[in-house]
Amino acid sequence: MSRAELAAAQAELLRAVLAGGPVPDGFDAAAVRVEAAALLAKRRRIVAQLAPGVAEEVGDRYAELFAAYAAGNPRVTGSRFREDAAAFETWLVERGEIEAPKRKRWWKRG
Amino acid sequence: MGERLGVGIGWRSEIDLTVERMPGVDFVEVVAENLHHDELPESLLVLRGRGLPVLPHAVSLSLGGADPVEMDRVEHLAAVAELTGAPLVSDHICFVRAGGLDSGHLMPVPRTREALDVLVENVRAAQSVLPVPLALENIAALLRWPDADLTEAQFLTELVERTDCALLIDVANMWANARNLGDDPLATLDGLPLERIAYVHVAGGLEKDGVYHDTHAHPVPAGVLELLGELCSRVRPPGVLLERDDHYPSDEALAAELAAIRAVVER
Repeated sequence: MSRAELAAAQAELLRAVLAGGPVPDGFDAAAVRVEAAALLAKRRRIVAQLAPGVAEEVGDRYAELFAAYAAGNPRVTGSRFREDAAAFETWLVERGEIEAPKRKRWWKRG
Repeated sequence: MGERLGVGIGWRSEIDLTVERMPGVDFVEVVAENLHHDELPESLLVLRGRGLPVLPHAVSLSLGGADPVEMDRVEHLAAVAELTGAPLVSDHICFVRAGGLDSGHLMPVPRTREALDVLVENVRAAQSVLPVPLALENIAALLRWPDADLTEAQFLTELVERTDCALLIDVANMWANARNLGDDPLATLDGLPLERIAYVHVAGGLEKDGVYHDTHAHPVPAGVLELLGELCSRVRPPGVLLERDDHYPSDEALAAELAAIRAVVER
């Protein structure tokens, strides 16, 4: 295995646990699911802490909505959790799950 | 190896006053990525003023990753080491980023010769920038890579021999891997260069659906303290530190956990 092959194997594993990619050869599928759920839960917890108002607004559906958002938006290299929280909020607004926050309507007059 | 640290706790801004007031805190650790490179929080200045060692602990170097080390992250850790006057710094034996994705957490590396070569190369690159020794920590994994060439003890031993790094042994992670992956923690302890331990981590967790999660948000299980006892029966570690990151209990409960750790260490 070369550095390039290791890079490919690590990328394949991250796609499996972050972006719904196939379970790489030789890995236990159940363990990959557990890892994916643990990573999702950690991400959800951090985002909820950064934007408690959003978590409050969607209430019981927070976990379900966050899972749907995260599946289509795996965290990319160089992104920050604050950006993640902002992107989730935008995602919710676009789907009509929450109202656009007032502070973002500065361009609207009257 | 290294200086005697004693018993410590992970400093977090949410419990800064608790840590300052708590009896029996000989040193603290702080997540390096949570610090500015040029200014320490007041609470850490207070602790430094009392002469307590403050050890930066990094989580984002991705030293086990096949991508080249992001040197700006190492430079931040180096700056924080200078700022805290730390005797050493640490990160984990893991990868965090690959293929343009960021896991946001610590992922295990394959225990193959090739992965070890990459890790060694990355550790040397980091060491070339760091002003103090680097200790590397074993992680808790929920999955394992296929086709391991080496046991965990062999992997860590060779890493130490080739890079001269120190070890930060997390007994809670070893215990979690025993529970979840069937690892034999005593065999791992017996195979490690224990004299290279800089300090030891202890933390709590929670079992959910048959899987033990090292949450750092729940009490320390008795089994983790027993494993700490096994380690201490083999070597006297320079320091042992409690990691608590969330769902903070009362000050008394935290102090009791530190006291329980001290009781094991000084037994």
